[in-house]
Amino acid sequence: MRKLKEYLMITLVSVQGLLVISVAVLLPAMIFWIGSPSLSLKLFTSSVFEGGLFECIMGTIWMLLGTIAISGPIGVLAAIYLVEYAPRSSKIVRVVDQSINNLAGVPSIVIGLFGYTFFSYHLKLGISLLSGWLTLSLMTLPIIIRGSEEALRMIPYSFREAAIGLGATKWEAVRDNVLPVAAPGIATSIILAVARIAGEVAAILFTACVLTMRGLPDSILEPVMTLSYYLFVMLVTSPKFSISKAFATATVLLLVVIFLVVVATAIRTYYRRIWKW
Amino acid sequence: MVRSEKIKIETIDLHVWYRDLHVLKGVNMQIPEKRVTAIIGPSGCGKTTLLKSLNRMVELVEDSKVKGQVLLDGVNIYDDSIDLTELRKRVGMVFQKPNPLPKSIYENIAYGPRIHGINDKKELDKIVEKCLKEAGLWDEVKDRLNDSAFNLSIGQQQRLCIARTLAVNPEVLLMDEPCSALDPRSTMKVEELIEKLRGTYTIVIVTHNMQQAQRISDYTAFIYYGKIVEFGPTEDIFLNPKEKLTRDYIKGKFG
Ligand SMILES: Nc1ncnc2c1ncn2[C@@H]1O[C@H](COP(=O)(O)OP(=O)(O)O)[C@@H](O)[C@H]1O
Ligand SMILES: [Mg+2]
Repeated sequence: MRKLKEYLMITLVSVQGLLVISVAVLLPAMIFWIGSPSLSLKLFTSSVFEGGLFECIMGTIWMLLGTIAISGPIGVLAAIYLVEYAPRSSKIVRVVDQSINNLAGVPSIVIGLFGYTFFSYHLKLGISLLSGWLTLSLMTLPIIIRGSEEALRMIPYSFREAAIGLGATKWEAVRDNVLPVAAPGIATSIILAVARIAGEVAAILFTACVLTMRGLPDSILEPVMTLSYYLFVMLVTSPKFSISKAFATATVLLLVVIFLVVVATAIRTYYRRIWKW
Repeated sequence: MVRSEKIKIETIDLHVWYRDLHVLKGVNMQIPEKRVTAIIGPSGCGKTTLLKSLNRMVELVEDSKVKGQVLLDGVNIYDDSIDLTELRKRVGMVFQKPNPLPKSIYENIAYGPRIHGINDKKELDKIVEKCLKEAGLWDEVKDRLNDSAFNLSIGQQQRLCIARTLAVNPEVLLMDEPCSALDPRSTMKVEELIEKLRGTYTIVIVTHNMQQAQRISDYTAFIYYGKIVEFGPTEDIFLNPKEKLTRDYIKGKFG
């Protein structure tokens, strides 16, 4: 009886595992399969008005770079504060800590709604690249903070102690002996956070994009097009959208994400091999 | 006890708490200048805490509290006006587990001088060479100064840590069981090094090893659960201890 149960469990678990793996492999494979025939250099370089993706690709890149520029420094500084300075017994710190987890759990459509009311409407930033950056930053911040915290906590306490013992201030100890070693881990967490929002639609739906086709924005206060948003628009608005065009767009988006993840993984494995203590 | 000696550090009714844990319970101790003072006692009795309260590293522990005074050349280091950077430059510390910085051998030594404002490459070169020689490490590492300090053996790492402490020109060296992670050969090298440093620096060394205390120290303090039980010249402590507790401890009855 017990044997039978065990046998059943193993089968169940294996089937589950296979299912997950096949989805993880098959889904991207299918997108590539359908999308890649329509990939061409022209797709990357020509304007959306001529059937290309140029503005969307540039828009995605700008979107991601701006979000990094805003949430990267804030997130890393917050993580440094939480790991190195915040008193663990403080109530406020615990509340902040819990809020970060909560923020990570907020659905992106709700973040988008908040971004629209707060950034676009109250701060009068309008539907713009800038509103999009700020809204997406709310999604990347918790990921960057948690990832950077983990990277910082991996650094042995003895590094700080040694430096302080020589007369370094707390900040000097962290700056000279903790940050350089934690940097690859921090960089990885930033890239992964960006990969996470590269395909985001809901958060920029009301804050950074408009339905009409447009060229590149002239300033950060203008709306923008991104790959993910273009895909969304194709699917919901045009009754005669071309499958191959949609899959080509999805393929490019997937390539962007895979590229980011590969870079992050490469940084991580490379430095893991260098640092040994 | 130490009437004829010049006193470098004196603790007056020193108490330390970690949250609710009362670790040092009124330590009164005089540490003679340019002598080697050993601190012995069972584990968990507060030896590390005592050392760390002599350069205020104890304050890094969250929720720690210190009461009482520690006079360094007659000045209370717990005064608000004390510059911690300057204090830790004067009172250096070597830890139980060798803890090189994540830098090259060269940079490990140069780091202290750098944070104290020395940036001249030539001067740093000189300090690095001098300190590595003083620590007896120069011949072993002179061809790989730019290697990571973690490539050294544990024994070499500990001597590097001692050299690194010397690089900021300290007056006092606090050593917390510096040999407990080392093999016998490295232990001997560190003891030889302490022998060489004797007379130049005031050395306070915590050790678990009775033989080591007898070999290297001029004075010995026996500490038991946060109080100094007995303090005096090393021979006196080991040959005719006054307290029964001391006698039992050095005979290995507990600890
Ligand atoms: N960072 C700390 N936080 C809380 N308690 C501590 C800490 N460090 C040491 N202690 C406690 O203080 C007591 C004395 O520790 P320590 O000074 O390290 O003793 P020793 O060096 O003699 O073994 C022990 O009971 C230990 O558990
Ligand atoms: Mg100890």
